[in-house]
Amino acid sequence: MGDAIVLRNVTKTFGDIVAVRDLDLVVPQGALYGFIGPNGAGKTTTIRMILSIMFPDRGELSVLGKRSALEAKDRIGYLPEERGLYKKMRVADFLVYVGRLKGVDGSGLKQRVHEWLERVGLAAAASKRCEELSKGMQQKVQFVAAVIHRPDLLILDEPFSGLDPVSQRLVRELVLEEHGRGCTVLFSTHIMVHAEQLCDRVVMIHKGAKVLDETIAAIRARFDPRSLIFEPLDPAADVAPLEAVAGVKKVRRDGAAWEIALAQGADAAAVIRSLAGAVAPARIELRRPTLEDVFVGIVEGGALQAGDEGARLRASVRDDGEMPAAKP
Amino acid sequence: MRKILHVARREFAATVLTKGFIIGMLVTPAVIGVVVIVFPRMINRNPPRIVGEIAVIDPTGRVSDTLREYLRPERFLERRRALQRRASEALPGAWKKAAGSPAAEAAVQQQVEAALGQVPQIDVVVLNAATDLEQAKAPLRAAGGGESRRLALVVVHPDAVHREEGKQRFGSYDLFVHGKLDDRLEDDIRNGLREAIVEARIRAYGLNRDEIEALTSVERLPSRMVTEEGERDTSRALNLLLPAAFMVLLLISVMTSGQYLLTSTVEEKSNRVVEVLLSAVSPMELMTGKILGQMAVGFLVLAVYAGLGAVALLSFAMLGLLDPVLIVCMFVFFVLAYFTIGSFMAATGSAVNELREAQTLMTPVMLLIMIPWILWLPISREPNSLLAVVLSFVPPVGNFVVLLRMASSAPPPMWQVGLSMLSSAAGAAVALWFAAKVFRIGLLMFGKPPSLGTLIRWARMS
Repeated sequence: MGDAIVLRNVTKTFGDIVAVRDLDLVVPQGALYGFIGPNGAGKTTTIRMILSIMFPDRGELSVLGKRSALEAKDRIGYLPEERGLYKKMRVADFLVYVGRLKGVDGSGLKQRVHEWLERVGLAAAASKRCEELSKGMQQKVQFVAAVIHRPDLLILDEPFSGLDPVSQRLVRELVLEEHGRGCTVLFSTHIMVHAEQLCDRVVMIHKGAKVLDETIAAIRARFDPRSLIFEPLDPAADVAPLEAVAGVKKVRRDGAAWEIALAQGADAAAVIRSLAGAVAPARIELRRPTLEDVFVGIVEGGALQAGDEGARLRASVRDDGEMPAAKP
Repeated sequence: MRKILHVARREFAATVLTKGFIIGMLVTPAVIGVVVIVFPRMINRNPPRIVGEIAVIDPTGRVSDTLREYLRPERFLERRRALQRRASEALPGAWKKAAGSPAAEAAVQQQVEAALGQVPQIDVVVLNAATDLEQAKAPLRAAGGGESRRLALVVVHPDAVHREEGKQRFGSYDLFVHGKLDDRLEDDIRNGLREAIVEARIRAYGLNRDEIEALTSVERLPSRMVTEEGERDTSRALNLLLPAAFMVLLLISVMTSGQYLLTSTVEEKSNRVVEVLLSAVSPMELMTGKILGQMAVGFLVLAVYAGLGAVALLSFAMLGLLDPVLIVCMFVFFVLAYFTIGSFMAATGSAVNELREAQTLMTPVMLLIMIPWILWLPISREPNSLLAVVLSFVPPVGNFVVLLRMASSAPPPMWQVGLSMLSSAAGAAVALWFAAKVFRIGLLMFGKPPSLGTLIRWARMS
């Protein structure tokens, strides 16, 4: 299988601002890729270049084997971050229109629109005007518009922004379903948790430059913080014995629990057994790196730290989807 | 190409199938109808009924009787009917037929009877020749007044009927009127006085009035326009109005569709639907589709109004005035003018965030388009003046000016029409190029509204 998207040394500037800097990106066919980074990192600009809505100043790109997305537009589905509907158009008419623009023809299209509306629970809204729909309903219609023509490549720009948790779950299912059908998916988000839940692999960009491009598993291995979370059964218990356990480097309070840093070369399994023997535990778990930690760590120069800058960066990538969404 | 047509079809349907458009299409003919049919009736139907007296100081003793006769209500009515008859005779064929039908006659009769109660009721009071002038004027100064208020005072000069020895001219009369005298009644009084004085003079000199009238009048017959196809009555008003009608039709259709194009582009942008579209079609396809769709809207407007105009002319049996070549040219000019102005509208629409911001950018275009409108009279009177010829070659004004000239009584030579079309086509091509550049950049630009300079810079970029 070839690569669905290839970007080589792509750079895009707006006046003095470098939006994307020497970006290399390869998304293999059939992959589910997360494209992450805080707001303003250059995600949307990159996506627009992939779709030939904008053109790079420098560098090469190919999409679905073509030199430009313009030659493969009908095989690409796109859900822009700035998305809207024709207010006065009826929902089904809008989807039929978009389907036609995407090269789907014939009577099968109406049937397909109908099926999709049923899938997302909007069958009753087919003949309503778009402006009559709630915001969540509009988002679903927009999602359907992106996939109505069964694309080979689906690009979603912040697909979860403005969605309530129920709709978020629905969209997640639909994305996974499209992926299961064999569609390559690239989706961008500034909320790292979403990427963790969905992707096999993430590309992280910061200030226009790529800072990470790895599978989730590799990231977890590479950025293993080598620490445990320990919560004693009795909250008032004395934790001094924990420090004495072999392989423990340091014990530090972390909310209601304690964070236990492992010494170099210590075996996590052995330490867990010893800890449980030292103080009765309510919970012991291996701490796993979150993308958020990884991101902050990378941006701040390697180490995982928790300074002011770190807190700010964390906040920028931790929004739970309740961000003020684009105006309809 | 298929995608362009899909965009065009949606654009057309989204514009035409709205209540606003349908009402807008009907409102213009309705307003014209109101102005042409209803207003004159509202004005003519209820003239204020005038009751009062006119005082006459008549040293000759020969004027007042004839004046009194002239101002009797029955005579007022007779004069009005005669006026009506003349007016209906001046009407062209089909209309005259309708006016001459028995039903119409009955309606006229009814109107006349109703009008009898409305004609002025004037008493002519003869004052003693020795009456003090100031005293006679005093009632005129009184504000308001009852039923028998004095409306005017006529002082006939002593030599009005008999010339004084050694003088070339006859005397006349002085007229003093109430501050609020209806000017139509003043005309009636003057006409009555003229009639009475002339009558008195002719009698005094023992002449035959009929003979004199016959000698001094030459009937003015309507002129006939002789063309290759034959003869027809000329109509001065139509010669002036027809070119204007063509130009207004062109202007309305171009502006209507241009305005819709602007609105729908701004709407797509501010709705954020544009990026969804751009993932399916290129900016150029989108723009072309939109321009074509709105062009169809303009054609519809043009066809409907031209059709209405043709029906109106048909009912007046004056369809012959319409030159088919002119209509074809009008459609050609529509396409050229529309592409020029439409491109600019699309570019503007793509560049701004909301309609309000577009107004600033549109002002120069609007002013440009108003030029032929302002110069309508000079151009249709002198269709071959230097100004008219030069303006014919300046896009997008040239389209309107040439159409105005073609519909006038002295059409320009065909080479000028051709050259104007060429220059307009070149203008349209430049406008399209400009719009395509701006459209691509503008669509995804949000924030500060651009100035004309910014648009030009965008066009020169990439």
